Amino acid sequence: MRSSASEIVRVSEVTKDFRPGLGLRRKRVLHGISFGVREGEIFGFVGPNGAGKTTTLKVLMGLIRPTSGQASILGHDVRETAFRRHVGFLPENPYFYEYLTGREILTFYARLSGLLRAGRGERVETLLDQVGLSHAADARLRTYSKGMLQRVGIAQALVHDPCVVFLDEPMSGLDPIGRKEIRDLILRLRAEGKTVFMNTHILSDVELVCDRVAIIARGRIVHEGAIDAFLDTGERETDIVFGQLAPEVAIALEEQRGAQLRPVGDRVELRVREKDVDSVLQAALASGASVVSITPHRVSLESVFLSAVQADAREDVR
Amino acid sequence: MSALTAPGQRMLAIASNTVREAVRSRLLYTLLLFAVLLICAGVLLSALSYVENDRILQDVGFAAMRFFGVAIALFVGVGLIHREVERRTVYTILSKPLSRAEFLLGKFAGLVFTVWMQLAIMALAFAAVSRVSGAPLGGGHAAACGLLAVELALVVAIATFFSAFTTPMLSALFAGGLWLVGNLTRDLREIGEASHEPGVALVTAWVHRLLPDLASFNLSIEAVHGLPIAASDLWLPLAYGVAYCVVVLVGAVVIFERRDFR
Repeated sequence: MRSSASEIVRVSEVTKDFRPGLGLRRKRVLHGISFGVREGEIFGFVGPNGAGKTTTLKVLMGLIRPTSGQASILGHDVRETAFRRHVGFLPENPYFYEYLTGREILTFYARLSGLLRAGRGERVETLLDQVGLSHAADARLRTYSKGMLQRVGIAQALVHDPCVVFLDEPMSGLDPIGRKEIRDLILRLRAEGKTVFMNTHILSDVELVCDRVAIIARGRIVHEGAIDAFLDTGERETDIVFGQLAPEVAIALEEQRGAQLRPVGDRVELRVREKDVDSVLQAALASGASVVSITPHRVSLESVFLSAVQADAREDVR
Repeated sequence: MSALTAPGQRMLAIASNTVREAVRSRLLYTLLLFAVLLICAGVLLSALSYVENDRILQDVGFAAMRFFGVAIALFVGVGLIHREVERRTVYTILSKPLSRAEFLLGKFAGLVFTVWMQLAIMALAFAAVSRVSGAPLGGGHAAACGLLAVELALVVAIATFFSAFTTPMLSALFAGGLWLVGNLTRDLREIGEASHEPGVALVTAWVHRLLPDLASFNLSIEAVHGLPIAASDLWLPLAYGVAYCVVVLVGAVVIFERRDFR
């Protein structure tokens, strides 16, 4: 049974302790984290290095047992195995048997996934074509570049046509073209109705493809929500460049509206809050000034991410 | 339709890949080469003696098969699971609908098949050298090789058990040590009984019960001397070996199931 009609992944109060050495002392790397991933969305799991992203993903993949709490995928406890025929996984910097060819490694994973011999070959060929490796299908993996290995990793994650795909740093080590191709592939997966869980620290990728995000910092979830709502949490500002703006009007706008004034040649640039844009424009135009440009500033995920992580760090110090 | 069940097919995929990986090992071929050379060198050693040339030839042959068979089982076997974890190939494999038990048993099956292939090559070399030297060959020799195959499977099971939770070096050390002790447990029990000390006899009897009694798999003396081999001399060690393998592999699975792949 699924915990919620639209929830594909549910992590509830998961804690993980590791013993750093042979001693009894334990180090807590996940502090009772909870979040959910909805059906058909691209979910970004974001955090700085060492925050607990990969540990969380390993808990979900059954590679690590949580010390306490529960994690489920498609309503099944992650310690079960049968439901994994509906789950695909790409680990960070994947390594494969280098003595196998691209075609052989995908056939191997297809066999493990329970694909019948009849349709196996066709599925492997389709995937090789999809990830752009048809030309290298018979080359040994030891001759593959990092980007090609990443494509093999994505192909093996999709070989059994799963409905939910977990990707750990999928753009890692790829050139701009490769990153664009992987982004397109992720978007295509969503269009096909699949759910994608993406672990990453590349925020620009998250902004471009994710529907919702969770931010993890030092083993704690510090934010979870829709990406648009997340970007709205910061105050937006707009840059307006005026021509023929009288100095006394500019100073008045600076004082009354809290605008930041900056001369640009014979023009004046005012940085104003989004809510003050209309009134500043009316006042300036009424004084005979002309508008040269209006540039709204979107709050970047990076700035919100940094402030969320820093706020968590400050709270921890207290 | 395939005759194998889904778990069987998955284990077969792991096993066949394990064989493919194992036969790429240069160490394996080096050990095999030395084994065949030693079997052939039996001809020279037997020539040094005026009496019992055939016995010396075949004693050396069986010793070479046992020693190098165990060496292959240990040195090729102990690293395979550790390598899967170290290189993180286990991450993608275990993300498929494959249980950890299936993975471990698949690796074990692949290793046993690899070791048995090497044993078959050594046995062929042994038979060829014996035939060329005119030494007798019979059912006893086949039985001795059969039980040696069971012993090697048990050594692989022990190596798999240790490699489920420790490094290749320690696995080789523990499994190799256990093989040495396992060849002495029967003598140890007899020494304990001969001591007439109830405490000592009890301890040595328990050591013999708990640790593998590998001497029970050794029919080389009967084979070389042409002594009669009763059916029970074959099926009792066979049943014992299979049961011991099952117990060791269950232990390995239990440990492997609880392991965190960090």
